[in-house]
Amino acid sequence: MDKHRDFLVEIGTEELPTRSVRPLAEAFAANLLAGFDEAGLHYRTVESFATPRRLAVRVTKLAPHPPDRNVERRGPPVRVAYDETGKPTQAALAFAESCGAALQDLTTEQTPKGAWLVYRAAEPGKPTQNLLPGIVESALRNLPVPRQMRWGSGEHSFVRPVHWVVMLFGGEIVNATLFGVRAGNRTRGHRFLAPQELTISRPATYLQVLETKGRVIADPERRRQRVLEAVTAAAGRVSGEALLDDELIDDVAALVEWPVALAGRFEERFLELPPEVLIATLRGHLRFFPLRDANAKLMPGFIAVSNLASRQPDQVRIGNERVVRPRLEDAAFFWQADRKRRLAERADDLRRVVFQEKLGSLFERQRRLRTILLYLSEATGIDDAVATRIAELAKCDLLTQMVSEFPELQGIIGRYYAQADGEPDAVALALEEQYLPRFAGDRLPESRAGNAAAIAEKTDTIVAIFAIGEKPSGTRDPFGLRRAALGVLRILIERRIDLSLPELIRVAKDSLPLETPDTLEAEVYDYMMERLRVYYTETPGEGIGHDQFDAVLANRPASPLDFHQRLMAVKAFLRLNAAPGLAAANKRIANILRKTGEAFPARPNEADLREPQEKLLFARLAELKEELPPLIAGRDYRQVLERLATLEEPIDSFFDAVMVMSENEHLRRNRLALLDELRALFLATADLSRLQIG
Amino acid sequence: MGSGAASRRPATFQELILALQSFWAERGCVIAQPADMAMGAGTFHPATFLRALGPEPWKAAYVQPCRRPTDGRYGQNPFRLQHYYQFQVVLKPSPLEIQEIYLDSLRALGIDTLVHDIRFVEDNWESPTLGAWGLGWEVWLNGMEISQFTYFQAAGGLDCRPVTGEITYGLERIAMYLQDVGSVFDLLWTETTAGRLSYGDIFRQNEVEMSTYNFELADTDFLFERFKQSERSCRRLIAAGLSLPAYEQVLEASHSFNLLDARRAISVTERQRYILRVRRMAQSVAEIYCASREALGFPLLRQEREHEAQLG
Repeated sequence: MDKHRDFLVEIGTEELPTRSVRPLAEAFAANLLAGFDEAGLHYRTVESFATPRRLAVRVTKLAPHPPDRNVERRGPPVRVAYDETGKPTQAALAFAESCGAALQDLTTEQTPKGAWLVYRAAEPGKPTQNLLPGIVESALRNLPVPRQMRWGSGEHSFVRPVHWVVMLFGGEIVNATLFGVRAGNRTRGHRFLAPQELTISRPATYLQVLETKGRVIADPERRRQRVLEAVTAAAGRVSGEALLDDELIDDVAALVEWPVALAGRFEERFLELPPEVLIATLRGHLRFFPLRDANAKLMPGFIAVSNLASRQPDQVRIGNERVVRPRLEDAAFFWQADRKRRLAERADDLRRVVFQEKLGSLFERQRRLRTILLYLSEATGIDDAVATRIAELAKCDLLTQMVSEFPELQGIIGRYYAQADGEPDAVALALEEQYLPRFAGDRLPESRAGNAAAIAEKTDTIVAIFAIGEKPSGTRDPFGLRRAALGVLRILIERRIDLSLPELIRVAKDSLPLETPDTLEAEVYDYMMERLRVYYTETPGEGIGHDQFDAVLANRPASPLDFHQRLMAVKAFLRLNAAPGLAAANKRIANILRKTGEAFPARPNEADLREPQEKLLFARLAELKEELPPLIAGRDYRQVLERLATLEEPIDSFFDAVMVMSENEHLRRNRLALLDELRALFLATADLSRLQIG
Repeated sequence: MGSGAASRRPATFQELILALQSFWAERGCVIAQPADMAMGAGTFHPATFLRALGPEPWKAAYVQPCRRPTDGRYGQNPFRLQHYYQFQVVLKPSPLEIQEIYLDSLRALGIDTLVHDIRFVEDNWESPTLGAWGLGWEVWLNGMEISQFTYFQAAGGLDCRPVTGEITYGLERIAMYLQDVGSVFDLLWTETTAGRLSYGDIFRQNEVEMSTYNFELADTDFLFERFKQSERSCRRLIAAGLSLPAYEQVLEASHSFNLLDARRAISVTERQRYILRVRRMAQSVAEIYCASREALGFPLLRQEREHEAQLG
């Protein structure tokens, strides 16, 4: 009897694109599993392995074949299958033959419409051995390869040329040919340290053979861990601490099969460069880890990770040190050369740099920023002179050599150069802070001018891109509008800047060089509010549900800060005992008011009140109508809702005792007016009828 | 499969060139000579760009002087030049063992692959002006980029079948490494009976004067005019079915564009348009070049088949 066996497939390639190494292996595994599932093949676990030169997947306990399939075919009716003498007819014999069965293997099935001849059997699945080539091939064909390539004279295409294929089912080689390469049981070790072919006898030995004989750590997680340990240890040996960065570690781990870390040095004089520049130089192209000392100051050194246990490690170190120098030399040259010209002098050159074809140059963009910043100056508490100066310099650093070399340093370089030019500190800092927050969870600007600059920069982008019809769709968001929208909202809320979002959008819109549809403001407002919804409802710990968000959104508060305050009040309200009852009452009232087609007076008439319960409610309402407006004006929504919570009992007894839809038209209309007034009082904070409680 | 073991290092710049030439000559390459026009990279040499088109096999290696006007630093920067040399190898179709052959060439230069950390790091190549792209790597020697490696997928807008493998050695960088010098100008070009000649002895004045020309004195009106002229000539030559002279006009236009770029005479939006204009020329040339080879019956393909038939 066949047993479950482990399965291994390895595709040996020329060096894969760094950022594809792991994702491709993971996708390979996922595609294989989908293939097994589709074929009905059972397995226990799956692991994916990847190095620059291989993608591999190992599956444990793969079934030797799919389970038997029950087949059932219906043949002719029994009355046709046998003649009067009970002998089988030609029809019966032909059916049996078509099923590959003898007549006596067929059964009959009774149905209300009569009896039928039926063939039933358990068909065994094809052996897994035979299924594997097709499953693997289709898994590879459907990998998310950004760009396929061909090589030589062949017509095969893959992410890089394929050199070998290992395919083992248990100890047995799978009979397959992929990319013109016959599958076998031989892999290859490290390109230099163990170039010979290595035999893998069973899938279970794969990692171990590669590591001990092949000098290859094929498990990407283990290799990443090795990189981390090696870098940390190498830094420790020179009494430093490596500046670790997840993305850099991932990249480095995807560039080596056998990581060896080494510490190198560069000349002290380069420490005069801004630390951001040093770090960007070391990390960027070179993929080195910067070092800092116990005082958190950068050291004139770095950790590099090589792919070789070198016979002369010093040679590798010296080589790497020589690579750093020209790069730092370039940066030092830019640092010197850029500062020979004031930032402000570059403003005119911005006319030549296109921001977006329909939206004009960066010069025009700076002019728009000026308009928005001047609008923001009061709300953010900055001088008009500061606002104007920020706008005049905002994009000038994009024209410096340093930023063209290190685009990720935009703004930071602006700050350094503005300081060197003697610009006011507030202006210099705002040049950097305009880009904050750069990613989800990033810090917000610290300075008031920085807040204003960041709001202006992002609002212009959002409104301008919406205006040319390029708003994000699906996962497509080339201008980073999602991030920008949330950035603006977070600054307004967390920095407690109270201003009208529709008005801000209008200011941005009016400064655009093109005609815009009237619907643009509402469209942008809605878009931004949806980003805010995602932020609140998906941030762990906030505990905000869509219903709470909708309750507040019903009012479309103009100021995001106001929105936030209402939302927090609703959240607190939900903890009150009265909350479920009041939410239900609001729902009931909303329903009554929605369903009635009847006109009723603008306010209830005291003289038309009959029952004591409606009189009581009226009286309580009158009190609250006095009390609440100043609280609402002061945005003390918590207090407002707490006061409203005291209505729970009067409302309950009202509904218990009073028949709203009375036969008497006069009374009925008066009661509707009373409910309408009650509802308006609640709505002034939020639409509690939308809350889902219990 | 080569071991890490390495040969003796070439001691001079010219020995480096000679070593690479003989290495690739031994592997069946035509040792071509540099194209006699200004160009930004060895890829522009007809021995690469045009030969990569169509079905004919081709193996060549050559030195190509390259001009990158914007990279000039008036001879002040020890690593940057506006005029430098590439050693270019093209193998069509690309052999499966092309990486190993390349590594052997490094060993032939005295680079021990068990001492030095050599890696192939993704670097995809695209030449917008040539309508060409390919996938490949930059090759790192202890973190320093010393070569470019590309599998051509398309050139002149046409799919490359078979695929040409292109290897470009950065000669100055490799030489600086082999000679252990910190400035390109200190490279020993050769040692003659009359004494030592450095790279700087030969080229420093050129860097200073050409940087001045590129950045300050190049006549932009003339260059714009020359660009237009080249474009016109190119069209006329294409109409006449003359792909090789038409290609020279592409090179002419491309270099005019590079100079205008160094003079910052072309705005960002216009820049894109100029690139497209060169690309259109290159694509037309590619098409008529292929047609002309086909009209000749793809002579190199025929020759290869006859040769194989003789070998039986």
